[in-house]
Amino acid sequence: MILERVIQTANLTKEYGGFRAVDRLNCSVRSERITGFLGRNGAGKSSTIKMLLGMIRPTSGSGTVLGLRIDDAKESIEIRRRVAYVGEDKGLYGYMTVAQLVRFTRSFYTDWQPDVEKKLLAEYRLPPDRKVKALSKGMRTKLALLLALSRRPELLILDEPTEGLDPVSIEELLQTLVRAPMNGTTVFFSSHQLSEVERIADDILLIDRGVAVLDMPLEQIRENYRRISLGFTTAAPRLEALRGIETMRSDNRQVTILASSNADAIAQYARERGAVSVDVAPISLREIFLETVQERNRQDQQKHWEREDALV
Amino acid sequence: MLWYKSWRETRTTVLLGMAAMAMACVAICYYQQTMRDHADHPMTYAHYIWKSVYSSIGRDLFLILAVILGSGGLLQEKANGTSGFTLTLPVSRRGIVFSRALMGYCGVIAIAAVPVLVLPLASYWQGQMYPMEQTLRFALLWIGVGTVFYGFTFLLAHHIEGDYISVLVAIPSLMIYGVLLNLPWLARFRMLDIFDLINGDEMPFFDEARHVLTGPMPWFALVAIVLTSLAFVEIASRSVQRREF
Repeated sequence: MILERVIQTANLTKEYGGFRAVDRLNCSVRSERITGFLGRNGAGKSSTIKMLLGMIRPTSGSGTVLGLRIDDAKESIEIRRRVAYVGEDKGLYGYMTVAQLVRFTRSFYTDWQPDVEKKLLAEYRLPPDRKVKALSKGMRTKLALLLALSRRPELLILDEPTEGLDPVSIEELLQTLVRAPMNGTTVFFSSHQLSEVERIADDILLIDRGVAVLDMPLEQIRENYRRISLGFTTAAPRLEALRGIETMRSDNRQVTILASSNADAIAQYARERGAVSVDVAPISLREIFLETVQERNRQDQQKHWEREDALV
Repeated sequence: MLWYKSWRETRTTVLLGMAAMAMACVAICYYQQTMRDHADHPMTYAHYIWKSVYSSIGRDLFLILAVILGSGGLLQEKANGTSGFTLTLPVSRRGIVFSRALMGYCGVIAIAAVPVLVLPLASYWQGQMYPMEQTLRFALLWIGVGTVFYGFTFLLAHHIEGDYISVLVAIPSLMIYGVLLNLPWLARFRMLDIFDLINGDEMPFFDEARHVLTGPMPWFALVAIVLTSLAFVEIASRSVQRREF
């Protein structure tokens, strides 16, 4: 049976002392697709991935990976058997040689593909007899990728997979990831390289301060998200928060709106309110990311100042 | 294959430790005449071996190696940045801890076993005789006491992060234990004195005149010590299962 959702979380929360790294996260990752997992540093991406893999326990909420509960010790082992993972730090045993580490890792998995292993060893030019500690950062990343990609996992989780790779290797990796869903593998990867994400991802999950702020297919984002720039002859009037308006910034006679849908209606409304120039333009994932995160920052800053004022 | 990983992590300590122990035993036998000639009091060969190997250099080297073997594990991996890889293998944390612990015990046994063969052979080479029956008995004492040194450090290593911090904490802790044994109410329990138990000093199973082990071995004490060591490992395992990485 093929699961429609390979990852599902419900109010998944992780607290470290008083700090809430993941805050009631509700998300789902569709099977046999590539999902880009985005967020700033410290947004909660790695904590989420660690919870999914059973490395840390959720403070509250629940989650499943491949239908298995992440907070159950036995089911967590089964998750790790069926999921391939490349961590952010790519920490591998320095005292082993490349060949020894490959042999060691291979022994844990029944879905290992020796032909893929050989192909990647040659492609990545990894010297089998060299100790892992003697490899460069880029080569270590390639080795970590080889250990994950030499299998045919149901789910491939990658945390910053292209970090430290040269442009050729990045291209090869992206091509490999694009092909993965054809073999039945779902890819869930985090990256700060938004252009890469935009190139290969089918779905986008954006989190900020542990909260999912965007969970949508990339195609839908491209279709629906628009930047609407409005020009007024006098000071811009106060505009209603219509459906679809995600952020709105006003600078005297100029208003810039980020709309997640309903762009035509918003433009029409602006014209009715006296806008003399209305420009509706597609927007890149990078801009959406920045707008969304910065707007949340602004809102938080505002709340902070209001609290400070109230105290004074 | 977790065994392989544990072996690779302990291999250097075990092999270097075995080599150092063998060299120490050979050197002690080689210089036996000189050392005995310069001794304050006349000394039999058995006395010299006991004093040099089982009551000082050999014993101290063995206990230090047992403590070093006990360091390491998942917390040290965390400090080295490899715990993420280990913990995403499809194995339980208990499996990871126990494979490491068992490999460490094997290392302790291997180092303790070195004098069993080396001492009789090196003695024979020097025209002396030191029976293997004695080296086997001392090896049993070393293994028993060595496991508790190992287990204690293993426990510390699974609570304190950082390379070899557990060793630095274990050694003074065990020294404090040694001092506490002088308290009158503890001194009554002779078998608690693992520092004397390991070489038989003033123990009922040790012939003080001939400096050889005689009579039945202290099996009850040895089993109790090994069980204590296993309890340390079990506590370490539970601690790791609760810990977040």
